[in-house]
Amino acid sequence: MNQIQNTGENINFLRNVFRKYYFENNHFPYLYSIEKREFGYRKFDSLVVRHLSFNNVGELVAELVRNVPLDIYYSNAYYGLPSNPINEKQWEGADLIFDIDIKDLDLPCIHEHTYYVCNLCGYVNSERKQCINCNKGKTYDTSIPCKRCFLSIKKEAAKLLDFLYCDLGIKEKFVEIFFSGNAGFHFHINDPSIRNLDSNSRANVTDYILGNGFMCESIGVRKYRNGFVIKLPKSGIMTGWRKKIASNLGINQKSELKLKNIVEASGGYEGFRNELNKMTRNNGVPIDAQVTNDIHRVFRLPGSINGKSGLTKAKCDDLESFNPNNDACMLSDSEVYVNPKTKLKITLKNNTFRLDNALEKVPSYVAAYLICKGLASISNAQ
Amino acid sequence: MSIKLGSSELAKYPFLQEASDYIHETKFDFEEFDRPEMIHIINRAVEKLENELKGNVYSNLDEYEIEIMTFMVSLLLIKSIGLEEVSKKCSLFEAMRVEKFLSSDLSNERSVEKKKLLVQKIFLELFKINIDVNSTSSICKLSVPDYLQRASKMYEQEWKLINRSVKDGYVYLDTDETVRLIRNELSNLIYSRIKNMKAIEIPVSIKSKADELRNKYSGRYVYKNQFKILEYPPCIKHAMEIINKGENLPHSARFMLATYMLAIGKTEEDVIDIFKNSPDYNEKITRYQVEHLAGKKGSHTKYSVPSCDRLRSEDLCFAIKECENLINPIQFGRRKIR
Ligand code: SF4
Ligand SMILES: [Zn+2]
Ligand SMILES: [Zn+2]
Repeated sequence: MNQIQNTGENINFLRNVFRKYYFENNHFPYLYSIEKREFGYRKFDSLVVRHLSFNNVGELVAELVRNVPLDIYYSNAYYGLPSNPINEKQWEGADLIFDIDIKDLDLPCIHEHTYYVCNLCGYVNSERKQCINCNKGKTYDTSIPCKRCFLSIKKEAAKLLDFLYCDLGIKEKFVEIFFSGNAGFHFHINDPSIRNLDSNSRANVTDYILGNGFMCESIGVRKYRNGFVIKLPKSGIMTGWRKKIASNLGINQKSELKLKNIVEASGGYEGFRNELNKMTRNNGVPIDAQVTNDIHRVFRLPGSINGKSGLTKAKCDDLESFNPNNDACMLSDSEVYVNPKTKLKITLKNNTFRLDNALEKVPSYVAAYLICKGLASISNAQ
Repeated sequence: MSIKLGSSELAKYPFLQEASDYIHETKFDFEEFDRPEMIHIINRAVEKLENELKGNVYSNLDEYEIEIMTFMVSLLLIKSIGLEEVSKKCSLFEAMRVEKFLSSDLSNERSVEKKKLLVQKIFLELFKINIDVNSTSSICKLSVPDYLQRASKMYEQEWKLINRSVKDGYVYLDTDETVRLIRNELSNLIYSRIKNMKAIEIPVSIKSKADELRNKYSGRYVYKNQFKILEYPPCIKHAMEIINKGENLPHSARFMLATYMLAIGKTEEDVIDIFKNSPDYNEKITRYQVEHLAGKKGSHTKYSVPSCDRLRSEDLCFAIKECENLINPIQFGRRKIR
């Protein structure tokens, strides 16, 4: 879906600020083994080009400055022949990647900063329904994430890191965290010992992190006739998910009796299973399963601009202090005029902008943000 | 350290290099199989093989000289029978036999050195898995990637990582579980021994037994296509083809196939029948799993067919033009919904 409304002027403006960015930031320090990656991009007309390959960063930057795409992707996979069709690329492994996004958190504040933009005329509606301006278009959601949103997603990020470090034993040096450039975080894990995992193995990890498929038996509750019996597993209940569940239930390796009482109190095996399901859902992290399971995916390139916001996919060395609207806002600050389509407030590079429905002079990075979100258009006013 | 594998290990694990060395040292010649005193070994190998074809693990254990010879004769027999399905099934049950001995050795062996040596010989040298076996509790630990590579091919939910004891990059398993993890690899190892054997030199005495067995079993292993494939989506067709060839399907594909068949109204019996051609088919387990998917067992939720998106990400999608706009394989061939 292309959020950028019609006018050639909007596209021209964005292409110019994007080009300037790629021209001036002509290096991608977090791009390894470039010659083994497949690249792809989305053009401003929404067309996606895939199966590209570059021998070095210079070639890549030249292409970006020449064609200025809206979004740029590269494969998490390493290929012998990255520009061949998918079955002839010679897959040599892939980084393990995770993607978490604010939209998957079901936050109550979402409605306060979501706008419903018409896909035909660009009008900003107050509800998700048919456009009241043109009576033809449908609306798509566009959101300006707030502080609470970012706090919540950072909490999920910390939970994910805990799974990666403490359970899966992945070394910190192999983990790179990036702000997605819009409303989430991306984790790239380039540990050579997990590069070769196939889709099924990755799906197994995915379910581990989501909290999918935990069985009562794993914590020692087995179905028996019409009831249940307690038989703790030989390998113990004090590690991994078993430990999480055990501490939620307040039990340990010696609490067979207590566990029996808990199961009875929740209404037997079935009731206990429902309780468990709730517990695992609350303790898991809502990662995007498809992203992690797919070993042939192209994924947003670190250091590139996200066409949904004009912010960059920036490296995030310290989650807590990272401020997306500041640290990932890298476009030019030369001023331009925009026509906002609605009343809104946005803080970028530590400046807060309060806009009305009227022509306004703003830095290019604000203009780019709003145009990418479908909430403003560029104006020719001088 | 001069701990070595003893004769009782060679009897249980006749596929180890040490067992071949033994044959080598005795300067045994294949032609000796035609001598009358060898008939006992050949009969034993036949008995074992027929047991395996019936779906049983042959658990009788004899002296190492006998076991090593029996193993060799079994391989020659299977090779000479030359039926793919026999080779596969016998390899599998041979692996399960090893599994049984190995699991009990790992939990009952008193000498820690011996345990470690077994682990090294079998897990590390044959399959490149580093296993650390606890000297007192007989709990084994292995790395998460080593675990995932194997467990992700298993059908049962208990093998999912989430149901395991996991800490600091290691998975902790009891000995049964540890050994179960390499069943496929053991079976492949034995299968490849059979494949790589040169068929020309098979002694007459074994060859004639093999001929008998081939006559007896060839008819039973002709696979019939259980269902006509008319309007199945490509993903399902592909999985059916693999099953009909008698090859192993990954868990994700079995899940897809079973849920799909149930969803289009096949009975549980029909679905169980489909899986009869799997090399590791076990009626009891399959029945349980199919009933589970149908919502009769365990969670009581009926599982739905995975979406095309999910199948795509699991590499199970083989989309063709007619797949356009589908969200779920179940929609394939129905009138397009706008
Ligand atoms: S698109 Fe859907 S129906 Fe078609 S092959 Fe893929 S999964 Fe099957
Ligand atoms: Zn409209
Ligand atoms: Zn918010």
